[in-house]
Amino acid sequence: MSSRRSSRSRQSGSSRISDDQISDLVTKLQHLIPELRRCRSDKVSASKVLQETCNYIRNLHREVDDLSDRLSEFLASTDDNSAEAAIIRSLLDY
Amino acid sequence: MASAYNPIYTDVPEKDVFALHFLQTLSNLRTQNSFSSPDNKTSDRVKKIKKAAYVSMARAAGGTNRLWSRSLLHQAAKRNNKNVRFLRRKRRVTWLMRRRSNRGDPIEDVAAERLRNLVPGGGGMETSKLMEETAHYIKCLSMQVKVMQCLVDGLSPK
Repeated sequence: MSSRRSSRSRQSGSSRISDDQISDLVTKLQHLIPELRRCRSDKVSASKVLQETCNYIRNLHREVDDLSDRLSEFLASTDDNSAEAAIIRSLLDY
Repeated sequence: MASAYNPIYTDVPEKDVFALHFLQTLSNLRTQNSFSSPDNKTSDRVKKIKKAAYVSMARAAGGTNRLWSRSLLHQAAKRNNKNVRFLRRKRRVTWLMRRRSNRGDPIEDVAAERLRNLVPGGGGMETSKLMEETAHYIKCLSMQVKVMQCLVDGLSPK
């Protein structure tokens, strides 16, 4: 299986991930997180980036929970046809 | 060393893909008789919608191509007691990778551990792979949140 072969080569070839690659990934993560995007200096430490990432992921999970709550209210209260029409309309309008 | 390391590919599909998958999962939910019946408790309904959101997000993001989506789908199917057939990655590789990452930098280990608990499937990954998966996961999560926000905005009374 090609997937098995590639994972084996990755295992033997990259025994030590270089610091450059780690800092590369840290910068990439930093760009994704809104709070850290504002202070775009290179002084943000890796641990702070990771911590903010954790907080951001937790916030996103909480938003998904909240939106699921509201969606369930809507979907329960309306009947089939009008709900589907409203859903499709709302998604086409964005 | 650039050839030994895979380039970071964290491209995420467009919002439409996420919306499509979410709508499909939602409509499947609605065709179930138990969903819109009045005996159905609100908390059950919310849980089902939440699970639908995560499953549709995992499917939209590439199904079994990414580790986190694969783990999500696996967890969801296990809860339904479905027989899941995935390409089994070798468990031995996972154990070895964990040993390697434990020998790594101590600075990132504590925060990386917290991250591993948050990202599905993060248990057996090296730190670099974990961060790749995290980046992709964050992008997909924010897409999913946008889709759901659009839905809620469209459905709320004007």
